Amino acid sequence: MEGVPLYAYILLSALMFAIGTAGVIIKRNPIIIFMCIELMLNAANLSFLAFAKYHTAPLATTPLEAWNVHMTGQMAVVFVMAVAAAEVAVGLGIIMAIFRMRHGVDIDEMSSMRG
Amino acid sequence: MSLGVAVFLVMAIVIVLSAWGVVVARNPVRSALSLVINFFTLALLYFGMHFDLLGISQILVYTGLIMMLFLFCILLLNLGAPDTLFEPSLFKRSIAWFTGGVLVLAVASQVIGPLAVADAGPSAPQGFGEAGSVGKALFTGWVYAFEIASVLLLVGIVGSILLAKRRD
Amino acid sequence: MEFITTSHAEHAPDPVFHWAWLILLAPIAGFLFQAALGKRIELALGRGAGRKLLGFAAVLPVLAGFVVSVLLAVRLAGMDEHSRLVITSWFPWIDLQSLLVPFELRIDPLSLTMCLIVTGVGSLIHIYATGYMADDRDYPRFFTYFNLFIAFMLMLVMGNNLPLVFIGWEGVGLCSYLLIGYWYQDIENAKAANKAFIVNRIGDWGFALGIFLLYWVYASNQDLLPLGERRYLSFDVILPLAEQVLAGYGPLVVSAIPLLLFVGAVGKSAQWPLYLWLPDAMAGPTPVSALIHAATMVTAGVYLVARTHVFFELSTLSMAVVAGIGAFTALFAATVAFGQTDIKKVLAYSTVSQLGYMFLACGVGAFGAGMFHVTTHAFFKALLFLGSGAVIAAMAHNQDLRNYGNLRKYIPITYWTMLIAWLAIAGIPPFAGFWSKDEILAGAFFSNLIQTPQILWLIGWVTAFLTAGYMTRMMMLTFYGNEERWRTAGAHAHTTHSHEHSHAAHGAHDQHDPAYFLSEEEVSALEDEEHEHHHDLTPEHEPREVVPSMWLPLAALAVLSLVGGAALSGLNPFAHLLGWHLPHLFEAWNHPSVGLSVLDEASAFRESAAIEWALIGASIGAAVLGIGLFARRYIKGLPKSEVEPQGLQRLAGEQWLYDKTMVRLFVDTGGKFANAFYRIFDSGIIDGIFVNGSAKLVGAMGLLLRRSQTGSVRFYALVIAIGVAVALSYVIYITTR
Repeated sequence: MEGVPLYAYILLSALMFAIGTAGVIIKRNPIIIFMCIELMLNAANLSFLAFAKYHTAPLATTPLEAWNVHMTGQMAVVFVMAVAAAEVAVGLGIIMAIFRMRHGVDIDEMSSMRG
Repeated sequence: MSLGVAVFLVMAIVIVLSAWGVVVARNPVRSALSLVINFFTLALLYFGMHFDLLGISQILVYTGLIMMLFLFCILLLNLGAPDTLFEPSLFKRSIAWFTGGVLVLAVASQVIGPLAVADAGPSAPQGFGEAGSVGKALFTGWVYAFEIASVLLLVGIVGSILLAKRRD
Repeated sequence: MEFITTSHAEHAPDPVFHWAWLILLAPIAGFLFQAALGKRIELALGRGAGRKLLGFAAVLPVLAGFVVSVLLAVRLAGMDEHSRLVITSWFPWIDLQSLLVPFELRIDPLSLTMCLIVTGVGSLIHIYATGYMADDRDYPRFFTYFNLFIAFMLMLVMGNNLPLVFIGWEGVGLCSYLLIGYWYQDIENAKAANKAFIVNRIGDWGFALGIFLLYWVYASNQDLLPLGERRYLSFDVILPLAEQVLAGYGPLVVSAIPLLLFVGAVGKSAQWPLYLWLPDAMAGPTPVSALIHAATMVTAGVYLVARTHVFFELSTLSMAVVAGIGAFTALFAATVAFGQTDIKKVLAYSTVSQLGYMFLACGVGAFGAGMFHVTTHAFFKALLFLGSGAVIAAMAHNQDLRNYGNLRKYIPITYWTMLIAWLAIAGIPPFAGFWSKDEILAGAFFSNLIQTPQILWLIGWVTAFLTAGYMTRMMMLTFYGNEERWRTAGAHAHTTHSHEHSHAAHGAHDQHDPAYFLSEEEVSALEDEEHEHHHDLTPEHEPREVVPSMWLPLAALAVLSLVGGAALSGLNPFAHLLGWHLPHLFEAWNHPSVGLSVLDEASAFRESAAIEWALIGASIGAAVLGIGLFARRYIKGLPKSEVEPQGLQRLAGEQWLYDKTMVRLFVDTGGKFANAFYRIFDSGIIDGIFVNGSAKLVGAMGLLLRRSQTGSVRFYALVIAIGVAVALSYVIYITTR
């Protein structure tokens, strides 16, 4: 995809992130909230990759260093994916446990931490 | 408008609409399907950016594994019924969307000018997204982080088993 | 253990000076022995044998210290006069970048003089105490404190730097406190101990400030000190350079240093206005009064002034203050002594008065004479106290002079020894007191440090007369007269019942249940003791002479009081007036430390032998006059006016109301002030506003903030999102402006 400017990716990422944020705020179903969080994580991933592809390293003096700069963004994405997988596994486990306990998953009812 | 830009625009529209769909759909299953479309298109975008390995990972991990878990969960808990769990207050919804809009505008105001210079094209060297390159990096410079991530996954497995176990 | 010993002499000092550490360490070992094993030995060997062993173990370290002190004194006397200074250092105690305080001892004539007094008189009093305290319940505890006191006192006089002296200073204060309150079951004794301790704090405050000031002065004048010298508080560093260093300072600092040190001396040596604690300190056992409150500890102030005399000499103001306070105290306490009916109280005020004499000597520049009086006073005042102890023991622990009379018939040894001490303190030649007192009076008369020093001489002379007077009163009421008043007068026997009387066995009676604190054997021992010991001063009472372990020290001190002064002064001033060429031993020995006597500098003295003969005559005359006048008044027995003292004598007995005023002014008013301060500041401001107020404020804020904790995750997400949006907008706004 030659000719696409970097800011296009970033804007796309920002849009995804904003939609995800709005979703977290307005949805009451914890599963959907989780999906929105995944949406936000993917928005971040997209930013990482866009920068990894476009970013030139002005301070890199050797080819190896320049190479590492391009690799860093991908590494971050790899770890975000790993964390997301773990998070979903645990998070859904928690939702299952809550459902089992209360027979309902309205997030507004989960307010036992009210001060 | 070059072909690359046109393809990008199409993909971007699909991505935004599917994300929107996740939020506005009343039925959780529809939300999940929208999310599948979103992640899949995102994977295609990665391929277009020459991130071969990560595109495949995106499909495998998100579209495959994570979405599967979501669907299982929805079906197991019988959360498919629409309309029950939606924010009733228009005011709160408006605030949420407004806040999101502010975030987008804030980012847009900062990136459109300065980052337009990258228009000349990506400067990344050849083959940087291939499995070989990523694997090499992962097992050399980032090996500690990689191992820690594996421990994290292990903890996640243990934790979810513990949560899923019925206490008698 | 390695000691580094240095001296002014060219060749390395004799390793024999390492033995100085033994003087200090032996009493510490004795203290630890008594404290750790005393009670067990007593239980294991039984009361009789155990106490013999413990008494022996208590006397031994002090006696060993005395032997070593004599040895060192002989060795030091053999050295050249100007190299009579050996410093032996053990380990660095405080080692900072800007201060080094080694654990070091100073062996010079002054410190050895004090060592000889402390260990010499100290061991005699220890021997006496083994007899005096033989029936006491807590025999090992007494000697624990006693040995500890000797150790601290030696540290005070041998320490080569001010922090070490300060440790000793506080340590002897602690032992004084413990021993005044030795019979702690009587609340009066505990109060007296507290009074001593608290009043001494005022003095120690001044002393500590003086030390800080000295450190500040010397640490900011490093360029005047030898290169790399960090011992800013060691005497061998600061004393020789005092004049150079203080040359750069105004009169404020130059006077503040000696005056602050003198505040410490005033507290420790019971001078007006802080003398209040010493009379009350007589609540302790009599050997304590003799050792601590007459012979040694209270002279620490004089020692300190003599040790740091270079600072005093640099400030005429401080010299005048020292002399003035000393003279006033001497006179004041001498008058108060007339109103006392308690034999120990008379001696206590006499001690205060004599200490005033010593400060008078220091204040007129006759530091040597002051130290000489410290020495002779240690002899005769210890003797007087020990003798009074013997009297008290013979009189069933009744201390009221009005119940005595004609005791010379019953306790002749005590009588004869106290007679010597009486003549010594009165200043009759050739007894010890005459020589030092005469030297002080001559020093006051010829002093060239202040204008018209003859006023000071006059005060000293009147005091000498009064001293002879009240001592005569005491001796007459105790030993003379034909009426044996305890046989007739039951009235006073209980009114001024001594605190001592209720010690030990009797004290335990006050407890609701004595067995609460004691084991079974101890209770039975107590009962035996009570049975044997319990006799009040009844008309049938027959005074008995004390045991040999008590009268032998009396005899030894009597010999010292008889010949000590004459021998040490080499019969000066008679000797050189008559051209006999006898050396003044004490001055010849001490002058490297404290400087020459003022007499050698005063030219008037050299020129006019007539004036000196007149002075000697005046001082003997004062003594004879005092003895004569008051012997006439009291020799027949108790005058009517003494039964219920009236008028001036009664006022004198109440210290001219000074104590009462002080108590009302500072203790009562201070208590009220403290109470008000407590109510307003402590519970009002600190507790009310700061402690509880801040808690309440936080609580109120918490009540407000808890409403924001809705427990709704979505609400939190909304708040975070809004926060991010606002913050981001703000950052963009200020960066693009």
